[in-house]
Amino acid sequence: MSSVPVPPPSAADSSGARRAAAGAVDARKTYGIGDAQVHALDGVTVSFEVGRFSAIMGPSGSGKSTLLHCLAGLDTLTSGATFIGDTYLASLDDKALTELRRTKVGFIFQAFNLIPTLTADENIRLPMMLGGESGDAAWIDQVVATVGLADRLHHRPSELSGGQQQRVAVARALASRPQIIFADEPTGNLDSVTGTEILTFMRNAVSEFDQTIVMVTHDPVAAAYADRVVFVGDGKITGELNDPTVDTIIDRLRNSG
Amino acid sequence: MSAGTLIARKSIRARWGRTLAILFAITASVSFVVGSFVLADSLRATFDNLFKDLNERVELQVRAAQAFDGNDARDPIDVAIADSIRAVDGVAIAEPILQRYAQLVDANGDAITPPGGPTLGVSWEGDDGLQGVTIREGVAPDGPDDVAIDKATADAENLAVGDTVSYLTDVGVFQGTITATVGLGSADSFGGAQLVALDLDTALVRFTTDGRVDAIDIAVADDADLATVQQAVEAVLPPQTEVVTGQEVAEENADDVNQFVDVFGTGLLVFAFITAFVSAFIINNVFQITIGQRLRELALLRAVGASGRQVRRMITFEALGLGVLATVLGIGGGLLVARLLIAAFDAAGAGFPDTTTVLATRTIVVAALVGIGITMASVIVPSRRASKIPPVAAMRPELGFAAMRARRLVAGTVVAVVGVALFLVGLFLRPGGTTGLIGFAGIGAVLLFLGVASLSSTIATPVTRVIGWPVEKLFKVPGALARQNVARSPRRTSSSASALMIGVALVSSTAVFASSLRSSLVDTLESAISADYIITDAGFQGLSPVVSETLAAVPELEAVTPIRGISGQVDGETKNFGAVDPVAFEKLVDPDLIDGTIADLGLDELLLHRDPASDLDVVVGDALDVTFQNGVEQTLTIAGIYGDATFGNWLIGLDTLAGVSTAPARDFFVIAQLADDVDPAVGDAAVEAAMEPFPQANVQTNAEFLDAQEAQINQLLLIITLLLAFAILIAVLGISITLALGVFERTREIGLLRAVGMNRRQTRRSVRWEAVIVSVFGAVVGIVVGTFLGVILSLAVPDDVISKLAFNPGIIVIILIGAVIAGLLAALYPSYKASNMNVLDAIATE
Repeated sequence: MSSVPVPPPSAADSSGARRAAAGAVDARKTYGIGDAQVHALDGVTVSFEVGRFSAIMGPSGSGKSTLLHCLAGLDTLTSGATFIGDTYLASLDDKALTELRRTKVGFIFQAFNLIPTLTADENIRLPMMLGGESGDAAWIDQVVATVGLADRLHHRPSELSGGQQQRVAVARALASRPQIIFADEPTGNLDSVTGTEILTFMRNAVSEFDQTIVMVTHDPVAAAYADRVVFVGDGKITGELNDPTVDTIIDRLRNSG
Repeated sequence: MSAGTLIARKSIRARWGRTLAILFAITASVSFVVGSFVLADSLRATFDNLFKDLNERVELQVRAAQAFDGNDARDPIDVAIADSIRAVDGVAIAEPILQRYAQLVDANGDAITPPGGPTLGVSWEGDDGLQGVTIREGVAPDGPDDVAIDKATADAENLAVGDTVSYLTDVGVFQGTITATVGLGSADSFGGAQLVALDLDTALVRFTTDGRVDAIDIAVADDADLATVQQAVEAVLPPQTEVVTGQEVAEENADDVNQFVDVFGTGLLVFAFITAFVSAFIINNVFQITIGQRLRELALLRAVGASGRQVRRMITFEALGLGVLATVLGIGGGLLVARLLIAAFDAAGAGFPDTTTVLATRTIVVAALVGIGITMASVIVPSRRASKIPPVAAMRPELGFAAMRARRLVAGTVVAVVGVALFLVGLFLRPGGTTGLIGFAGIGAVLLFLGVASLSSTIATPVTRVIGWPVEKLFKVPGALARQNVARSPRRTSSSASALMIGVALVSSTAVFASSLRSSLVDTLESAISADYIITDAGFQGLSPVVSETLAAVPELEAVTPIRGISGQVDGETKNFGAVDPVAFEKLVDPDLIDGTIADLGLDELLLHRDPASDLDVVVGDALDVTFQNGVEQTLTIAGIYGDATFGNWLIGLDTLAGVSTAPARDFFVIAQLADDVDPAVGDAAVEAAMEPFPQANVQTNAEFLDAQEAQINQLLLIITLLLAFAILIAVLGISITLALGVFERTREIGLLRAVGMNRRQTRRSVRWEAVIVSVFGAVVGIVVGTFLGVILSLAVPDDVISKLAFNPGIIVIILIGAVIAGLLAALYPSYKASNMNVLDAIATE
């Protein structure tokens, strides 16, 4: 732990800005050895504020997904640190990490978000059930109503459309009221209409329910739903945009391009 | 409900194909185990009841005393003792009983031989007597012209009360009128035996007993006290006789029979456990594969907050559920199997009385241990591996597979070597006697199989490349695909082949053992025994001494000797003594005499094998004190020491036997040699003619005897293969399910191949030959391991029994052909599945 740099993440709000919900300090992730070495992350320092919808953008192989996986505690760094709230992830053992993912983190993946043998309802409640809790029933009902799944709750994933499956995934991510939700190309497999629906839900979750979302995408339209876009290239942060629009994002991509 | 049990339950339901396969494997194993127990328990209960019924009215029995419990029948006692017993106060009935050889003869003069049992001649006093024989029709025989026979034989031979029938005893052929048909309790037959019942006086003459009977059954008067009467009877008995209660007799009789039931039951159980072991392999493999397929699902669980322990518990719950369900099904299946087997025995002429089906608590406990145990044992490694899947594999499955890899080479080698070591220790050092032998060798074999199974993944790729070569040459692209798919995941190939490997190894080790046994027998018969004829007994009762006496009188025969037996104790240890005619024996047998003489073996002299001679530290001329089973003590002087134990370790002359035992002589077999100048055809005719009156004497020439032995050895091999059928069936099912899961995994790839132009037939072919390559691989490894085990087994057996190793290439060819067929069978469903995929859907599968 001696290599972990100060300052502690919660100190980030001393400037009067919002507190950091998650972030990375000089994060490096290297695959392979010698000449074959690939730096997926090459010294990334970044933080994502509480109560905001942030997007991470970059071309394929830029390291954006690796950054998300490491921020979420799904993968480990070669050096540097990542944190969620007040907690450095490297300080946690597998048990504590699991606990953290179950209680403080929500996930939405591009595909294969749901356990195929469980119904939509069971999938939504899964993180709570794994912790032996029943969760906040009123909140879960509200989430289910918001994503419009009330009549599909007892269907299995194979009986749901792709868009419905992603809505179940969003509902699951929200159900345990996590500190932060990580989304990995959540609309990557969806047509544009369904994709818009999902992004609207995510936007509303942040605006109305005060959730925090960090989303990886390569789609400027999706990124434009966010409050802030962080650009990644070759394992490094290459820039950022606040209150982005599709046009400003495309401009930025073209200029850095 | 907790998330773990929920997911486990749902998973069982959602993957029903896999669930069914696992259920079948466990259920079959448990059924086999339960069936073995239930069958043995039921037979035991049946025999207990049978002998209780038989002796129900016998309150006391007087019989010859014996020094120890050996292999011999008790000496007969004087029938006159019955008179002195009848004079005892409180004795109501004293009935002498007698059981000897007798056999019915049909109208053509040919002996009637029952399918499975002995042919018995008994004395019978009718319903007034104490024997459990019950009249079905007619009245008890009374006089030399009367006879009663059992109902089963009467029905089979169309005989009825009033018919005249001929029967054979050791003395000759007699005629009688059937006065009654009889049964035993509810059964028409006496455990498959043919029964000829005569009244006592007739029996005493026709069975040539010199006025002696086997025992005297006693019923006491209603108002008399059993213990008092027993004491009073004891007081009038001559020396060397004893009086025991009917209950003791019933228990002893049942114990004698149940010894065979125990051996039989234990034998079945061994194969039941082999089946369970093979099942464990299959279940393990299926779990392993499905966990690979569920990788993303399990990683997702980890990502959303399931701990590694929860994932492990989930898999374990799944297995537990299946194990419990299969155990319940297996207990039902086992009861069914046992009932069917009993019915089959009955149909084959065993003539069991009403058999109760006994399901002991012990059976249920063992069933649960096997059913749940093998499932849980099979899931230990897969579930641990599942718990190691990192959450990131939900998005990047390739990282998950890396985490599931394990080191097998070192562990496999260590396990296999330890297994061989234990096997050797068990067979050669035998710590703790027979139990130690079976325990060590058994655990050693299990470890060897586990080790080889895990090692075989390292050799799977090169070996299957070789096996696949002709397939590729023959079937071009589908053949090449089959060959590559087998080589693609060597671990999976080896573990699905391993189940078959075990079955094949057991068959081929038995084959090596059997052929070594056979060729050693040939050697012995060719070198040590110069007999031209071997006369064995067809009826399990031993040959009448009249047979050898008759043969000795045939002028064409130069030397004839019977082989009889008696049990005797030397220094408190029971030994089996063989009794022969020494002069003839020397001409017929070369027992590798080391010192002394054979032909001059005299009265109260002994021929001793060199092993006990060196154990006892005795030489020719020394004397040994022997106590025979009937209590007679005799000092025997060693006349010779020999080296070949084909005829046992202890040999005495017939005269010595006659001096120490009055039990009716029965010969195991008789060997005879033609005189030098006699033409074999003439000799055959002479022997045949001499044996005409003895239907139970089975005359074989040297070559015929060898053929018969070989047929028996082959039969043994066949029975063992049949007993392994369940295990082999499960192994084939295992290959099938592995392949089906593999096809499922490769859906997209198969779709692609179909899209670029592979037709259905080619698709089927590639899956089919993949199965054949896998099963042939299993068979090849099995043959190697089995041959190795067979060689060790054969070496462990004393040289007198197996003196040289022999291999049977024919059986190896049969096994390989069987493996190809097994592969083709295993591929039926997976190949159908693969060829019937919708191409577009298949490509769209992720």
